[in-house]
Amino acid sequence: MKTELTISTDAIDETALAKRRVMDDGMGAVVCFLGVVRGSEGDASITALDYEAHEEMARHQFGLIFDAVEKRWPVESVRLVHRLGVVPVNEPSLWVEVTAPHRAEAFDACQFLIDEMKQKVPIWKKPLPA
Amino acid sequence: MLINVTFWSYFRDHAGCSETVVELETGATLAKLHEIVCEQFPKLADARNSTLKAVGLEYESDDFVLSDGDEVSFFPPVQGG
Repeated sequence: MKTELTISTDAIDETALAKRRVMDDGMGAVVCFLGVVRGSEGDASITALDYEAHEEMARHQFGLIFDAVEKRWPVESVRLVHRLGVVPVNEPSLWVEVTAPHRAEAFDACQFLIDEMKQKVPIWKKPLPA
Repeated sequence: MLINVTFWSYFRDHAGCSETVVELETGATLAKLHEIVCEQFPKLADARNSTLKAVGLEYESDDFVLSDGDEVSFFPPVQGG
């Protein structure tokens, strides 16, 4: 399984990421997920979320999750981008792409990746009030 | 033995610092380290039950036996995405 992990303060450029997609002709499914910053946290309005990571451990934990995906589904590739630093409302903080032969495994693997990330990858967010 | 402890996210604010060094007896566990850290930094004690603990890059349980020079991280539940 091919994997590509980007953890960066750069804005996520969906178009550029899509242009770099390379798929084998046996692959029939691409699932992409974007996590976007909402304008509120609880009852409070916010302008942005400020993301921080224990980056070395985050990379390691993402690697373990990718390994688990590979063991469970016939996925061709996973690309994941997590933005750090200040991410304004309406902008994506997370981009995930899974390519696989069929949609079922692509959807399942993508959901699994995000669920595991939210349990294990040391990234935190601080709301910046409006 | 000496253990290096790093605090992440709002644990850094609760501790008032980003890292500290704790001296422990040989054979001490992660639970013992956590207990001492909570005594030294009482604001961290409130989050005792939700604290995540890692040694190096791996999560470890309370019965993990520490070694001299281990790099331990204490942090709140993660919030990526």
